[in-house]
Amino acid sequence: MSEELPIILVKDVDYTYPNRTVALKHINLNIYKGELVGIMGMNGAGKTTLIRTLNGLIRPLKGNVYIDGENIKSKNIGTISKKVGIIFQNPYHQVFSNTVEEEIKFSLKSLNLSKEEIQNRTNDVLNRFNLEKYKERSPLNLSGGETKKLALASIFCRDPEIFAFDEPTLGQDAKEIDFFVNLINKEKDRGKTIIIVTHNIEFAIEHIPRTILMANGNIIADGPTARVLTNEFLVNKSSLILPQIRQLNIALNEMGIQCPEEINSISEMTHFLTNYLKNKSTKV
Amino acid sequence: MSLEFLQAFKFQKKNTLVHNFDPRAKLLCAIVYSISGLLFVDILPLLLIFLSLIPLIILGRMVKEWIKSIRGLSFMILLIIVLNTYFLSLSYAIAMILRICIMITAFSIFFLTTHPNDLALSLISMKVPYPYAFSFSLAFRFVPTIAIEAQNIIDAQQSRGYEMQQKGLINQIKNLFPLLVPLIICSIKRAFNVAEALESRAFGSTNDRSYYYTIKYSIKDWLFTIYLFILLIVVIFVRIQFGVMPEWLHFILPV
Repeated sequence: MSEELPIILVKDVDYTYPNRTVALKHINLNIYKGELVGIMGMNGAGKTTLIRTLNGLIRPLKGNVYIDGENIKSKNIGTISKKVGIIFQNPYHQVFSNTVEEEIKFSLKSLNLSKEEIQNRTNDVLNRFNLEKYKERSPLNLSGGETKKLALASIFCRDPEIFAFDEPTLGQDAKEIDFFVNLINKEKDRGKTIIIVTHNIEFAIEHIPRTILMANGNIIADGPTARVLTNEFLVNKSSLILPQIRQLNIALNEMGIQCPEEINSISEMTHFLTNYLKNKSTKV
Repeated sequence: MSLEFLQAFKFQKKNTLVHNFDPRAKLLCAIVYSISGLLFVDILPLLLIFLSLIPLIILGRMVKEWIKSIRGLSFMILLIIVLNTYFLSLSYAIAMILRICIMITAFSIFFLTTHPNDLALSLISMKVPYPYAFSFSLAFRFVPTIAIEAQNIIDAQQSRGYEMQQKGLINQIKNLFPLLVPLIICSIKRAFNVAEALESRAFGSTNDRSYYYTIKYSIKDWLFTIYLFILLIVVIFVRIQFGVMPEWLHFILPV
């Protein structure tokens, strides 16, 4: 992987908001094609600011951002957004069209596609997101979860190389989270790069292999999620709490049940406890 | 595009003479200056009125914010210059720009130096019913919030290929829909949420309210009010007698 050029290269990036809030301090970051990366940290740590620098919504005051080897400094947002699609927290910030179908087509308008291609992509994405039955309906009449799906669909139809999600699991029920996990896994398998800003530590430990931890505009840790989010010092520094599985692991060890430290997912813990209880009952 | 200029109407806590004036005196100031601005269509009287506002801006330590509010008007200023110069004259265009600058400056001084709660209290002291006074102050309290929301909407739309700059007036107007529709929807949603939050805390359940803070008209407020009345009388006198005023006051540009 180290031989390969990163698809996202953030080099010495600094950013301070006009109200003098320092959001990013000397950020250096490499993300490779096909990676699924989580960005975590307390509120105000600089997570959302960092993803906004990736498509030029925020221009760093110092340093550079390279997407697919190209410096985006002189590129306009329209051009960068073909490669980097950011999906924001509040889906109501973007819906405005008369129908769900038109809402999708609006996203495709700037890609200079033929009418046929626009229609094909619209049908395809409506189908993938189970929104076909709502295509003639006003986006304002959809439920919260469906509106969030529509917001996702309107970026997915553009087929960017990099997806950046800001709090995608916020206010979503278990089924909707499942749908989202399947979606990102499929995109990852297609070689797409995925960045997820989240506060949901359980979601991160289950589904995200690499985590970047931020605090006060700095990256304080970058590594395998299982290692970063089970480090008590780092977790406390980021105002997070240890994942429930990790807490259970510690409690079991305190009770004298030797639970291996590397168990960090629900399935691994279920497997361990089932075996442990089976062995125990056999001994009795 | 940045909506930073809306921040120029956001109250900023500072300890200055202007901040310490009673909100009613500052509201009177905004009204007197707006009336004065509306009385003239000549450059020099308007310029003098405008210049008389500058000491207040300096005393209130709000030069930066004021410049932002004027900069936010640059599109409108450009439009006034083009339309008035084309249909009337450049002198008239400059006079109209000065008139708008006077009004914006006067109200900008008021909003930058008056806390929304004090604004409500001043309205109540003028016998405006509490629910109306509260709604009015709440509306101003939400201006910066709406500015932030508008910026988020712009960012969300730009992330899916929306382009701010379009050629042609009709295209530019059409181009506003992706921004205005979500902004209106989010504002209505927020209004309902705020109303529910207020009702759940028994807003309006009783007519007799007491207030933790009270506002008082002090000597400095009376002195400021007297100055404003003198200014208004002088301005009205000059306007009535404008025909017999010295020639230099009627100055117009040679073009």
